[in-house]
Amino acid sequence: MTIDNDGDFKKALSGLSPAQQRMAAARFAENVLELTRDARIKRTIESAKLDTISDEELGTAFQFAKAASVDSYTQCGHECDWNKQAGHFVAEAALASIKPADGNNPAWDAAMHARMARTCARIAAGNGTHNREDAAQYRILAEFLNS
Amino acid sequence: MTASLDKGISVLKEMIDAPIASYFSSCVHCGLCAEACLFYTETGDPKYTPIHKLKPLRRVYQQEYTLLGRFAKMLGLSKPVTDSELEEWKPLVYDSCTLCGRCSMVCPVGNDIVYMVRRLREGMAISGHAPDGLIGASRRAVEIGSPMGVKLAAVQAQMKHVRQDTGIEIPLDAAGAEYMLIMSSMEIINFPEYLGAIARIMKQAGKSWTLCSEAFEATNSGIQIGVSDIARVLVQRIVDGAEKLKVKTVISPECGHAYTALRWEGPNLIGRPYTFDVLHILEVLDGFHKEGLFKTSGFEDERLTFHDPCQLVRRGGVFDEPRNLLKLVAKDFVEMSDAGKMNWCCGGGGGVSAIEEAEQLRLQAFKIKKSQLEQTGAKTLVTACANCRIVIEEGLEHYKMHIPVVGLTETLADHLVEGEKP
Amino acid sequence: MDQELFLTWVRSTGLDIAVGIFVLGTLWRLIEIYTLGHKPDLAVPRHRTGASGLHTMFRRSVPPPGMFKRSAISYVGGYIFHIGLAIIVFLSAQHIKLIQGLTGLSWPNLPSQFIDATAVVTLATMLMVLVDRINNPVKRFLSTFADYGAWALTFLPVLTGYLATKHLLLPYTMMLALHILSVELLLVFLPFTKLMHVFTLWVSRWYNGDTNSRKGVPV
Repeated sequence: MTIDNDGDFKKALSGLSPAQQRMAAARFAENVLELTRDARIKRTIESAKLDTISDEELGTAFQFAKAASVDSYTQCGHECDWNKQAGHFVAEAALASIKPADGNNPAWDAAMHARMARTCARIAAGNGTHNREDAAQYRILAEFLNS
Repeated sequence: MTASLDKGISVLKEMIDAPIASYFSSCVHCGLCAEACLFYTETGDPKYTPIHKLKPLRRVYQQEYTLLGRFAKMLGLSKPVTDSELEEWKPLVYDSCTLCGRCSMVCPVGNDIVYMVRRLREGMAISGHAPDGLIGASRRAVEIGSPMGVKLAAVQAQMKHVRQDTGIEIPLDAAGAEYMLIMSSMEIINFPEYLGAIARIMKQAGKSWTLCSEAFEATNSGIQIGVSDIARVLVQRIVDGAEKLKVKTVISPECGHAYTALRWEGPNLIGRPYTFDVLHILEVLDGFHKEGLFKTSGFEDERLTFHDPCQLVRRGGVFDEPRNLLKLVAKDFVEMSDAGKMNWCCGGGGGVSAIEEAEQLRLQAFKIKKSQLEQTGAKTLVTACANCRIVIEEGLEHYKMHIPVVGLTETLADHLVEGEKP
Repeated sequence: MDQELFLTWVRSTGLDIAVGIFVLGTLWRLIEIYTLGHKPDLAVPRHRTGASGLHTMFRRSVPPPGMFKRSAISYVGGYIFHIGLAIIVFLSAQHIKLIQGLTGLSWPNLPSQFIDATAVVTLATMLMVLVDRINNPVKRFLSTFADYGAWALTFLPVLTGYLATKHLLLPYTMMLALHILSVELLLVFLPFTKLMHVFTLWVSRWYNGDTNSRKGVPV
């Protein structure tokens, strides 16, 4: 099945098992990992990509990503550093990947955050906001499902 | 006396009105205002006593507006307000005051201390004694249109993001729409899910709404720094946008002081009443729900509590709506101690979170919010101000408390029944 | 000094000067304060029952939620000595007689033992609030000579009045003269010190209540 639109993409993600959601989400976050230097996010993503992960490891991963996310918020009144903001959304994508999938679609949330990260990086580079992170994500999902 | 100090004193003189004169004449130095101020209660340092923060203003009042004070000044017996004093007062007037207004609630002689701090900031700013962080924010607000440097392109990127996420096209510059939404830069930058939540609810409610390309920013740095001229420019932009689009109501977002600025100070800044209504998003949503325009289903399982944003509740009068809405989706909702109009500030409002050098103090002051939260045993904190949200998250992270902080509008949207018309 | 002359002076010239300064000073201060005016509020108000300037004028006498435990001594001490002063000033036979002489109005008095007990409690409470003013870090930090002066100006009339009534310390004539003098000092300084709050607090509360009532917040 070729996914080339968000409707099919979202539907495919919601059909995944919780563990698959986690791993797919981690891959979306990983695709934008270059937008941050925060090692905590990298560690979270590495944990989230594992086939099996204990609750304790999940807890640790969550704390890393949460700390990274809180550290990178732009505070009210501060001039937005769009590069840092990109990093914030990478952290959010990582966080989404390890949230439990009870009835919601964490992989979709992670994908959305990853796209936002890419958009912020584009703004930082002064290149407008257009990007094709969505297409990259369709490819990532297809590769993941085929592996 | 430098030219800017001269201007500053001149502005302070203009700021002093009958209420302020009455307040200074009534103060009996009881110190109860300190017991209401988180910057004092969490540090034990008496210099954070609210009425003390007003000392320079009091001296201007005495020296300019009292017979004995003027007489003493003439004889060279009074101490003039100086640049170095105002500089010394800068951290008291800005870093350790979020304009939360708790002091005004408790003064036994009725002093509206927060009103006085707001007016003192006018003189502080004009005389060059405002914090750099706020000066930068105000400059960006006037020149770029957002204190955080958000331009229309970023808003449009967010609109596109929301379209991808929800399938809903966000209207821009739709003339004749019933509602015009303004957003704080905080929401545009940090919480794109907020716009998505509103889009979904508005769609379900069947209401016409729009963003405005010339007036998307709700934050008013002029209020925070205390420069009414800047505050006026920022309000006027919104008024011009709303009147151009001929909307009936402007919706103030989940931002505390944006509501105070537009709803309460705005008409006084521009010198006339508005031709449209101003409602906080929670007032709008509560109204929609009462009219049966949307339904929710399901409940949050865990215990929730609500943090009352000061500018919305105590300073804004929007008490009931947050609770009405939260009870739609919360099975186990507990109030904090002092909930409602006496709730404690998050510590970051009034421009404090924009001041780098205030961070340590802010984290110390946060202890009271932490203690309130601990007492509730809540597993999630809900609030309705993007700045409170981040300030609280930072505070919780600092004290290693792992409780999620979420916005009320998004929480409602998570439980929204979509598609079927009620 | 001739005690009789002193007493006569404080009852006549002294009283005229003191009352004159008090009345003119108070009027002047009220004019000085309230003619500054304030701009009308152009924002559309929100109405909420129980929120108004008038409500706040009285409601502010009650400790707001959570505040009593933070500074019980401020509230307890404050209530006791203010109420004590009111009882002594308005319900003692001697003062009612004085007021009757000046205005023709009179009303029943409380028994002298009750007034005596009230005076003792008021004095003790005022000493307690003084100690608190010195001990409490915020009060100590805020307090100036004017605060201690205002305390003394309020304390001395109660003390001297009590001593005079009980014929203690000094001969009655002298004690009474000192009592009247202490009241005259209080009157003279009242308009120009924080004691002016006697008049201005009502309006301050009203302004605060009114401003907030327009937002629908009862304060």
